[in-house]
Amino acid sequence: MFELRGLHAYYGKSHIVQGISLEVSAGEAVGLVGRNGVGKTTTLKAIIGLLRQTRGQILFDKREVSKLPTHRRAALGLGYVPEERAVFPDMSVEENIRIGALLQSGGDQQRCLDGAYALFPILRERREQLAGTLSGGQQKMLSLARGLALRPRLLLVDEPSEGLMPMFVAHVSEALAHAAESGNAILLVDASYELLRRVCARLYVMDRGLITGVYRPEEFASPDALAAAYLGAAAAAPAPAAEATRA
Amino acid sequence: MNEFILQALNGLVVGLSLALVASGLALMFGVLDIVNFAHGDFYMLGGYVLWWTLPKTHNFVVSVVLAGLVVGVGGLIMLLLLVRPLLDRALTSTVLATLGLSLILQQWATRTFGGDAKPVEAPLSAHVNIGSVQYPVYSLIIIVVSAAILAGAFFYLKYAKWGIWLRAVAQNRSMAAVLGVPVPRVYWLAFAASSALAGIGGSLLAPSSGVYPTVGNDVILNAFVVVVAGGMGNFMGAALIAVLLGEIESLGTITYGSISLSPVAVRLLAIAVVIVLLMVRSRRQSALARL
Repeated sequence: MFELRGLHAYYGKSHIVQGISLEVSAGEAVGLVGRNGVGKTTTLKAIIGLLRQTRGQILFDKREVSKLPTHRRAALGLGYVPEERAVFPDMSVEENIRIGALLQSGGDQQRCLDGAYALFPILRERREQLAGTLSGGQQKMLSLARGLALRPRLLLVDEPSEGLMPMFVAHVSEALAHAAESGNAILLVDASYELLRRVCARLYVMDRGLITGVYRPEEFASPDALAAAYLGAAAAAPAPAAEATRA
Repeated sequence: MNEFILQALNGLVVGLSLALVASGLALMFGVLDIVNFAHGDFYMLGGYVLWWTLPKTHNFVVSVVLAGLVVGVGGLIMLLLLVRPLLDRALTSTVLATLGLSLILQQWATRTFGGDAKPVEAPLSAHVNIGSVQYPVYSLIIIVVSAAILAGAFFYLKYAKWGIWLRAVAQNRSMAAVLGVPVPRVYWLAFAASSALAGIGGSLLAPSSGVYPTVGNDVILNAFVVVVAGGMGNFMGAALIAVLLGEIESLGTITYGSISLSPVAVRLLAIAVVIVLLMVRSRRQSALARL
């Protein structure tokens, strides 16, 4: 369904992503883990089209999308929830959700709103409030709820647990897992062991712009074992799942 | 009292017509971060379209609509060709480009229509009695039509799909695109709507000022003041400040007892109000969304 083939991405002259390949099947949730600064967020931005200095192939339903502008990629079914709280601060909570939902039919627009409110009921209570006046955690919830409610066929999610209280992290885990079970593919960047284990079927480990291994989450018995895999302590990490290693 | 009502109505005429021009300027800045120096010339083109079509249509309303359409489409084409390729470059690129377009349009108008002011007759010469003062009906029509257009634009931005998208793009272009908003088409809409507002303003005011190649210069300077004071990119802020300035400039001409202000003093008073507004209010560039 989705495939990166030899993706390179640059910020100016900095060569951040140095030729990575990965796959996500329909209905599959895949994790992308690694230390800070190895190129995980850059990879997601390159996929959605926010970073245009790229080389290599981005295939979505076998269609090359790397030359398409961001909104065309979104129309094809790619969604993105960024790490930062990317709300429209001077628009109401409901308007924030409706922006993307307006591309859909009337009934589906209401389904988007209901879906977002069902995920985080506090958003319904604050639907008339300007998004910029929400707390940081609530803005994060809004960003996530909006991304999930639109039900893109592949959702790119960057650090959803960052800045959320633990009880909401569990909530997000369930929502992402449910989305995957409902047939939506997910490419998830996060450092939360519990979140990754609950949601992902496979984990790509990234280091210095390259994929260094592919694992199944259950191969890591503890958060430390996962951290060891991407911090470079190879001895502490299990051998990559042979059938999944493509990098 | 009659004098006060008369000048208050004059203030509304000046303010609301200025608001039409200034809100278009604010729209362009809000959505595209562009200061369009050719905006006053779109106002001038609106006047010429009215002047040229009126003898053919014999219908003032149709000619005003034509002015909006022609200037809207013309502005869209000109800005697409000239400004769109410069959007990702420094702000000075678009400033210089629109300044150049302004000079070209004024020269073209001078060569085509001559430098003299073309008179345009108001569609209605009737007056109504307000107290002991007779007030032109056409001025009242300008007030009603301008207010209706601005209210329509407000509700469009607030509730219509493309209006919501305009505000979204004004606040966060990248995130709007991520959510599937067709950002290039939103640019088109901003180009066309902004130009059309200027064209309609120019045609409505043509009977008051006549039409000449630099008629837009007189308006655009005030429009820039209004947009800066209302908050760059703030559609309704610009409209409200325009009305406020119009009222100050009109009511300032009244003699209160032994106190009267010279036109220069009234102008200084208006500028002082703008400066105070700038000092007091916190301005946010993406204020289109504060509707």
